[in-house]
Amino acid sequence: MTALNVSNLMKRYPAFVLDGVSFRVEEGRICGLVGANGAGKSTTLKGIMGLIRTEGSAEIFGIPSYEREAKAVVGYAGGGFRAYPQKRVGALANAVAPFYSAWNGEKFARYCDRFGLDPQKKTSELSEGMRVKLSLALALSHGARLLILDEPTSGLDPLSREEFCDTVLSLVREEGVAVLFSTHIVSDLTRIADDIVLLSNGRLLVEEPLRSLAEKYLAATAPDRAALSGAIGVKTVKEGYEGLVPRDRQMKGVALREPTLDEIIVHLEYERRNSGGAGAL
Amino acid sequence: MMFRLLKKEFALCLHPTSMIFAFFGLFVFVPNYPYEVAFFFSGLSVFFVCLTARENGDASFTCTLPVRKRDAAIARVLFCAVFQCALILVMGLAIAVKELCLPAEMQTNLAGSCANLALLGHGFVLLAGFNLIFFPWYFRNPVKVGVPFLTAAIVQFALIGVLCALRFTAPVYSDLLVSPDPANLGVKAGFFFGGLAVYLGGTLLACVLSAKHFEKTDL
Repeated sequence: MTALNVSNLMKRYPAFVLDGVSFRVEEGRICGLVGANGAGKSTTLKGIMGLIRTEGSAEIFGIPSYEREAKAVVGYAGGGFRAYPQKRVGALANAVAPFYSAWNGEKFARYCDRFGLDPQKKTSELSEGMRVKLSLALALSHGARLLILDEPTSGLDPLSREEFCDTVLSLVREEGVAVLFSTHIVSDLTRIADDIVLLSNGRLLVEEPLRSLAEKYLAATAPDRAALSGAIGVKTVKEGYEGLVPRDRQMKGVALREPTLDEIIVHLEYERRNSGGAGAL
Repeated sequence: MMFRLLKKEFALCLHPTSMIFAFFGLFVFVPNYPYEVAFFFSGLSVFFVCLTARENGDASFTCTLPVRKRDAAIARVLFCAVFQCALILVMGLAIAVKELCLPAEMQTNLAGSCANLALLGHGFVLLAGFNLIFFPWYFRNPVKVGVPFLTAAIVQFALIGVLCALRFTAPVYSDLLVSPDPANLGVKAGFFFGGLAVYLGGTLLACVLSAKHFEKTDL
């Protein structure tokens, strides 16, 4: 079942346009929303949550995302959990609980125990990683079926990021939730994401399963640019020039190797810039 | 839903000054003081609530809960109105105590309105004016709390100035409304209920406009 269906989402700011972004997140899958700073990741997530006015539509399990019924099955955490720093974890849970008919206090206590969250602690006393876990505990205690997380791993040390990835993976396995999380840390994507949505300058560049994207290209390196004619997102590297080529393409005089996801994203971004900002590839 | 939102406002957005300033209704025991100033402090507590809400990222947090955006704005107005009504209630009780327990010569106020029923009517009008200016403006952009508050406070002080000036420049007004109760009680009751009607109408309009503006606001 489709957990989230974003269709032609548009938002116009004086200096930025989110230009008709469309993608889906299926139930039980983890979708990474990636892009450079200013690509439109947070705008997209805010648009889905109805925090900003947008054109187009976003449906959560078939219900418009701004409807209360849709929000009731979403757990959202934007930019870490920075709300109400002087409030205690328990007080926050008590304030949130009445809004959800499916709220389960015992479940919240269990998640607090599992994540090492002390209900008596103020949220300002929690580390970045623990705040993310608080968001997850709140979301899962009201039976969220879709988690929308805006850069949950930014600001986390490598160990906490690893721990976050483990937690999300186990939640998806145990609870069957769908997850949409934005990040610019590509290693997190490689670790847990099933699907990838790549935004560039407000436009959708790629939407596909991570595995198929990784299997689509090879990185080609050549000392002169002419040898890379037709390659995607050619840019200078220490050895000369480098670009992506489709895996089935025959090329002479170039060195071919498996690209990392980081490299794929960078070359696709370069291609978009070189071609003057064309849409999806 | 509104009850849940109000409960959340009390749990997460309450600023101590909201409760403290509600007791500024006791100002009526201060001899020769412009009692209407107590209503300015009520506005100040609204400012603190909204400022604290901004610092706590309340607007974004609330709007991600399963609530309509417009309801979040209405809940904030109603939450502040609870404390405005508490101020009126405290002041009303203080006026009753003053009239019953203190001698007649202590009922006169040389600085402005006497502590009487009409003062409460004035208070309702001052609070309605504040609500109508502050909230719809604030909900256009909840990040900017200062300018709407400053404007509403300036208008409030101008109105307080006019009311104090009328005490000395308009004999009819002075005779009818500035006298201690129970003199001219019927007219004063008229001012009280008129003020109440203005407050209810003004606050309702503030709710409608705030909701409308907040719907269009990008958080």
